[in-house]
Amino acid sequence: MIGQRLFRWQHRYAPYLFTAPFVVTFAVFALYPMVKSLVLALFITSGPKSQVFVGLENFAFLFTDPSFFKAVQNTAIFTFFSVFLQLPVSLGLAILLNSKLVRLRNLFRFGFFSPYLMGQVFVAVLFSVIFAPRLGLLNQVLSRMALAASNTDWLGTAGLVMPALVLTSLWMYAGFNMVYFLAALQAVDRDLYDAAAVDGANAFQRFWHVTMPSIKPVAVFVVVLSTIGSFQLFELPYLMLQNTSGPEQAGLTVVMYLYQKGFESGDLGYASVVGWTLALGVLVISLVQMRLAGTWRKD
Amino acid sequence: MDRLGDWFPFGKAPLIILLLTVFAAGWLALHPVGRTEADLRLWTFADIHYYAYLKAVPSFEAAHPGTTVDVQFVHATAVTSRLRAAFWNDLDVPEMVEVEISSAGSFFRGPAEEVGFIDLTPRLQAEGLLDRMVKARFAPYTYHDRRTGRDYIFGLPHDVHPVCLAYRRDIFEAEGVRVEDIQTWDDFVRIGRRLTIPDKRYMADFSDKAGGGFEAALYQRDGGYFDSGGNCIMDDPTAIETLLWYVPLVAGPERIADDPGWGQAWSKAIEDGYLITWTCPDWRSKSAETQVPRMAGKMALMPLPAVRPGGRRTSSWGGTMLGITQKCRDQDLAWQLARHLYLDPKELAARFRELNILPALKDAWTHEAINEPRPYWSGQRIGTLYAQLAEDVPPQYTSPYIEFAKSKMADVVSAVAAWYDANGPRPDDAPDVAARKRAEFERVAAARLREGADEVRRLMRRNPF
Repeated sequence: MIGQRLFRWQHRYAPYLFTAPFVVTFAVFALYPMVKSLVLALFITSGPKSQVFVGLENFAFLFTDPSFFKAVQNTAIFTFFSVFLQLPVSLGLAILLNSKLVRLRNLFRFGFFSPYLMGQVFVAVLFSVIFAPRLGLLNQVLSRMALAASNTDWLGTAGLVMPALVLTSLWMYAGFNMVYFLAALQAVDRDLYDAAAVDGANAFQRFWHVTMPSIKPVAVFVVVLSTIGSFQLFELPYLMLQNTSGPEQAGLTVVMYLYQKGFESGDLGYASVVGWTLALGVLVISLVQMRLAGTWRKD
Repeated sequence: MDRLGDWFPFGKAPLIILLLTVFAAGWLALHPVGRTEADLRLWTFADIHYYAYLKAVPSFEAAHPGTTVDVQFVHATAVTSRLRAAFWNDLDVPEMVEVEISSAGSFFRGPAEEVGFIDLTPRLQAEGLLDRMVKARFAPYTYHDRRTGRDYIFGLPHDVHPVCLAYRRDIFEAEGVRVEDIQTWDDFVRIGRRLTIPDKRYMADFSDKAGGGFEAALYQRDGGYFDSGGNCIMDDPTAIETLLWYVPLVAGPERIADDPGWGQAWSKAIEDGYLITWTCPDWRSKSAETQVPRMAGKMALMPLPAVRPGGRRTSSWGGTMLGITQKCRDQDLAWQLARHLYLDPKELAARFRELNILPALKDAWTHEAINEPRPYWSGQRIGTLYAQLAEDVPPQYTSPYIEFAKSKMADVVSAVAAWYDANGPRPDDAPDVAARKRAEFERVAAARLREGADEVRRLMRRNPF
């Protein structure tokens, strides 16, 4: 009798028990903060204790806030280069290191991937030294090649901050994205290449008509992931620019701006508005990317 | 191996990871981080303060039997964010904390009664400290409540940080430069143009972004970011005048200044003679002694050149306050420790020997330790020099928006310097062209300052507290 009741109880509640860890964690650490931030967006705050209800004023202020637009502009530029510079480099490396003609491929694969293992803090410190004026490695090399003055201040000149960040990010993430492309390339059916060769396709045609369609799902995934990651850029500029936005806010990103407003100024309401705007922006861009890539096409 | 595989079928590596995890978790469970039992916890962000306080605390504990003090060193960036988080959540708030001058104002936000520090004004008044200490140094730690018009002093000033000009005495002598000939900044610039060799040697260490050098120049002219009422004044005529004076020194073909950066780059720039002079608040004189020891005997200090003949010969750069938090249960005991660390002339004089930091307490300035000759500085009595200038240090008024204002000013200086590099007057310009460019420069500088200030004011207008 007791055994039957226990069995019925277990049969009825087991699914809830199994899903409970996720549901509870999600509710506490994702759902509640999301709802709370929506509510906070209607307040001007000075830390969590002092709040004044302002309705939609935070949203109105955001759309006339030059610093926010500067942050969006910087983030968009960084994202553009992440997608159109970093990913082609990653794909190129993957193709190169997928070729059987390259010796010590595994060593090179590990070499290109290893910057990702270092962590952003280490990379930021390393590149701050590399970009230093006068004594920095980059200036030493460029000045000896007569390509730049030895006191070029990469992180202190408005027009050079973004190239410095893009270069740093390229070094760190090119190998990481290469791994995705490498996995996709290794999954391409060799018979397709053989058939294309029989049909007289040259190397470029084989790449364009065989390789690219075959790795497209992974490429779309990497593009979307890179875009989202780029819009969340924070640690590199925060550390390389030493907790500032850089000259003329050239290194200010949306997430940095959110951090400054929420955790330095204490205006959690306004930071929530920045956060939600960022989330919606990333969602829209990701959907557009997937739509353009034909992700939902049935064929 | 087969038996292990039967018992744990996921492989060797996962087993090792699992064992390590269990071991680490067990170790942490058996060795929890102990809660501090100290009566007073003091956070400081400066390592030199930390080591000095470690030496000073035992005598305080001996004088207050049964009392324990825990001095904790927290990184400068972390102390601000940790303290802010601690105030917001009422978690792990130390009894006392030192805050850097640039970020102190950012804690004075919201209703005055909700600021995390206690108001020290009654204690300061009762002990006559407002007169016994350099009055200007209370300004950065004073919160002006716009609703009530009342001022609250939330911090006890650690220092004065008067600014001198440090120079390579050997280079000055080799070039026939007499310090007596540099009375004003005009004199300085004239000599600087003669001594500067582009890309090889610069007269000063000013940066083409806002920073210590620009701020020192701004404060020396009685300018600043905010006035005593908390109004943003970073685009007033003084700021415009300072910017117009400063930018041609750091940008354009006739610049005489370069910013080598900090740390080793700065040390090497001084050793190499890349920099002939540099702005030197008292704390930086110790940095030179420790970071550029090979320059011992070749360096010397002089008062800052004046803006106009007979004008102020100093300014201020940097600073620290000590605050007692609202969460401190024994505020009288905390005040006793504050007095011990900040107001004991003997302690302060001994600390000057180690840190070169002139205390804000004027009674301490006559102590022999402060008036000793220093071999590194060519035998000069640098403490005496700083003390002579200290009473003339300008006030730095603050606001909850001080960090934002500083970042905006940095943007302005950087943008105007870049504009001047590209469009400013050139030595070979015809007089009418040079005059037109000069007028355009003045217009751009004023406009950029106004833009920056307007952004600060716009943010301030949102403040409902």
